[in-house]
Amino acid sequence: MPKVRLTSGVELEFDSQASLLDALEQAKQPVHYQCREGFCGACRCKLVSGSIQYLYEPLAFVRQGEFLLCCSVPDSDIDIELP
Amino acid sequence: MAYTTFNRTINDQMKEPMFFGNPVNVSRYDQQKYPIFEKLIEKQLSFFWRPEEIDVSKDRIDYQNLPEHEKHIFISNLKYQTLLDSVQGRSPNVALLPLVSIPELETWIETWAFSETIHSRSYTHIVRNISSEPHKVFDDIMLNENIMERADDVTRYYDDLIDACNLYNLCGAGSHNVNGESKGVSLRDLKKKLYLCLLSVNVLEAIRFYVSFACSFAFAERELMEGNAKIIRLIARDEALHLTGTQHILNILAAGEDDPEMGEIAKECQQDAIAIFQKAAEQEKAWAAYLFKDGSMIGLNKDILCQYVEYITNIRMQAIGLKSIYPTTQNPIPWINAWLVSDNVQVAPQEAEISSYLVGQIDNQVDTSEFDDFDL
Repeated sequence: MPKVRLTSGVELEFDSQASLLDALEQAKQPVHYQCREGFCGACRCKLVSGSIQYLYEPLAFVRQGEFLLCCSVPDSDIDIELP
Repeated sequence: MAYTTFNRTINDQMKEPMFFGNPVNVSRYDQQKYPIFEKLIEKQLSFFWRPEEIDVSKDRIDYQNLPEHEKHIFISNLKYQTLLDSVQGRSPNVALLPLVSIPELETWIETWAFSETIHSRSYTHIVRNISSEPHKVFDDIMLNENIMERADDVTRYYDDLIDACNLYNLCGAGSHNVNGESKGVSLRDLKKKLYLCLLSVNVLEAIRFYVSFACSFAFAERELMEGNAKIIRLIARDEALHLTGTQHILNILAAGEDDPEMGEIAKECQQDAIAIFQKAAEQEKAWAAYLFKDGSMIGLNKDILCQYVEYITNIRMQAIGLKSIYPTTQNPIPWINAWLVSDNVQVAPQEAEISSYLVGQIDNQVDTSEFDDFDL
């Protein structure tokens, strides 16, 4: 199970939840969301290290080094920074 | 760049900037400089809905039973949204289309503005149902100071841009004497006005709608005005997509690869950008105060709503690369997210399966392998 580490120090394991957003919500982390479908961009956050895989290509604008939680799963252990 | 409806210059659309290049001639999508705009078009079309599909008949009874101060909250929000969508249903077409140089962006703008006209028609649908005198509601919009005050800021940047473009088209760059008044115009001026206009549109769709959305959903949390809430959900979904559209445009411009001068202008306008966001947020907070002047509603009051405006302003600013300006980091009304989730919007079985369900889409390719797992 890939590990998800937050810059706040919290660490959790990704246990095949539907998306990283679901996993963080289950771990009661303060995540922002709106559409949960990759087009509003509210769940945008920074990928510090590791890699993620998109379940489908998001429509929202995503900067280099950022990704959307609602439509992605980790590809390896990852470090992320929530806004 | 003088505007023509069918530019005779043979040009490579892949080399045009988004704005102020050659006007578009052939609406072709075989080659796209920014494929994201076609994806937005497809998404918007998959969202298509009609106001009449939503039954708002129960809302009439609910509305009649609301106390006066809640009627005020409900109807004022509807009026304000009517203003916003009146502007958005026409202005992107009038102001932006003559400046666009790539076909996929041109079509996105038209698709975007069209969906705003559906919103406008949905307000009439709601008002007709809850009131026997809908004309009184609409007549008051032009007379309501609190709404008109916002109208100024919502429309100013559009009008500035249109005005300057007219002058530029007619007389070209330079200083011109118009009706005894000396007016200067340059392409760089136009670009700056366009950038500010796009920022103000971004703010309109990012912040200005949300006080109203929050109130509609707060009513629906109490199982009141639920037909209205269903419509507002569809509108909120559309607006989130439009917002993504303007965020893409702004971010592409700011990156400077599309048009280096635009990149400079974006840097130059950073303080203006912050000021536009801040002014809109303050106006929306004042709007919240006006809504709740005679009393709060269950689940929502002025202070909570103001915090929400600050929270959402921060998020929207970060999305286009600006620093947040308010200390609020937590969403004070987390329950609103359940209403803003896109996947819960449509519940017809064929649509629940895939959210990008397209109206009238048919798959008529069937080959023999489809029967492979059939046993007799």
